[in-house]
Amino acid sequence: MPNAILDPTGRKQDAAPTEAQRAPRRPDLTGARIGLLDNTKHNAALLLREIGKLLVSEHGAAEVTEVQTKKVFSLPVPDDVVTTYLRECDAVVTGVGDCGSCSAASTADGIVFERSGLPAAVICTDAFVVTANKMAEMRGAPGYPYVVTEHPVAVLTEEQVQQRARKLLPEIVALLTDAPGNAQ
Amino acid sequence: MTHEDVATTELDPDAARDAIEHCYEQGWSDGLPVIPASRPAVDEFLATTDRKPDEVIGRLPQLEREVTVELAAINAVMAGCKPEYFPVVLAAWDALMLERATGGGGWQSTSGPAPLIVVNGPVRNDLGFNSTGGVFGPGFRANATVARAIGLIVRNAFGVHPHELEQATQGLPGRWSICLGENEEESPWPSLASEAGIPDGSSAVSATLLRTCEFVDNRHTSSAEQLLGDFADTIGRSGAWIFRNAAAGVIFCPEHAQLLADSGYDRASVRAWLAEHSGRTTAQLALAGKDHCPKGLRLPGDGEPAGEFQRILPGADPSNLLIAVAGARNAGISMVVRIFADWSGAAVPVAAK
Repeated sequence: MPNAILDPTGRKQDAAPTEAQRAPRRPDLTGARIGLLDNTKHNAALLLREIGKLLVSEHGAAEVTEVQTKKVFSLPVPDDVVTTYLRECDAVVTGVGDCGSCSAASTADGIVFERSGLPAAVICTDAFVVTANKMAEMRGAPGYPYVVTEHPVAVLTEEQVQQRARKLLPEIVALLTDAPGNAQ
Repeated sequence: MTHEDVATTELDPDAARDAIEHCYEQGWSDGLPVIPASRPAVDEFLATTDRKPDEVIGRLPQLEREVTVELAAINAVMAGCKPEYFPVVLAAWDALMLERATGGGGWQSTSGPAPLIVVNGPVRNDLGFNSTGGVFGPGFRANATVARAIGLIVRNAFGVHPHELEQATQGLPGRWSICLGENEEESPWPSLASEAGIPDGSSAVSATLLRTCEFVDNRHTSSAEQLLGDFADTIGRSGAWIFRNAAAGVIFCPEHAQLLADSGYDRASVRAWLAEHSGRTTAQLALAGKDHCPKGLRLPGDGEPAGEFQRILPGADPSNLLIAVAGARNAGISMVVRIFADWSGAAVPVAAK
């Protein structure tokens, strides 16, 4: 009887897919307190700020109540930060997944927010959907929906970032609400 | 019986091939054949160290993955290491884990960084690490397989696979293959490990992640400052320079190191000279859209003040400019390496049993 070939991965199973992958949604954003979580990538803060403004001025959100910058863009958001957002906000927008580790980490952040009860819209560029999807799968949330935007974001001018915010707005609103027409 | 005695009669190449194909099918290979790991083989590796098999030696929190001594041993077997190399693999891994980037996003980075592993001390000659000609490889089992073992650990135990969680845009040539012995015999200076506080006569490993490498071929000057000027130019290139400052290293060939030493330069004075002279003017950086650095990231600015010289190295400490000596004494060709983030400046002792 030959010796068995040993597994070099030490891998446990990926987290089992759970039914409650997403937080409950409200029908619209009227009166909602908005949180923004900047993952430090270039133009992320500007893009999120613009989206925050538009959510307030055009979709009835009360105000942007919490804005933080991730300490480490490659790691998932720490528990105490999640607790703060949960206390201060009704919905959170985060990103921009625009590099190898940060795109995966932003997806993980969205999933963490959702499981703690906070609807989240993660923004990731189209160059990193594979790594973002892989992370969602590993976290037991295969198919976790996020907003995909054209790569790259870091080279955009301020004016182009504002246009991008405008363009992404409908999808972000749809992701954060259970308004009719939201495919997810 | 030795392998040679049984090679023509008892070893089964078809069984070996089947076992290797099994490893490919599981996704455990870096693209080249691996040695399938068995319990007896892994136990031979574990017998070279006092460390417990279940000791955790690396964590990647974002992926919820860990590396244990046992998993490192399995991957070292698969990389083609001999059991006696395993303490060097562990020291190289520990040295890499001291780097900020290796516990964060480094392995997943679009830069596709390569570990640089430098081995010092008697273990080089005892185990056959090349420290002279062709030191960046290939051709030497110890150098090639220790570096490959690190790559397999990252792939298998951390689960960082290309096109999935590993997002290298192109990746560095020689990724998972840069492990060199320092040429202590032909170096005019104390070893890299002794600079990091390791006693002479002990073996140790230093390691960091590289963004890229480029050699400096300079064999016709006898001026130390002209030679250093050539290095300063290469170190100061804008291409791999994306943050305010960037750490680098030089793997000097013996000829260059000896020329510098003969002119009175030790490691510290080489570093001081290069720290002062490596960089670009604001006008030169403006041509590449990298002259303006308001928050750490280099961005296009207005190119002013044009004549201002911006130094690339953060300072003149050992951690800002790694200096080692390796290669043959047959020409003046040395390698400039660009460090991915920063270097710990540490050397990790090789703890053989």
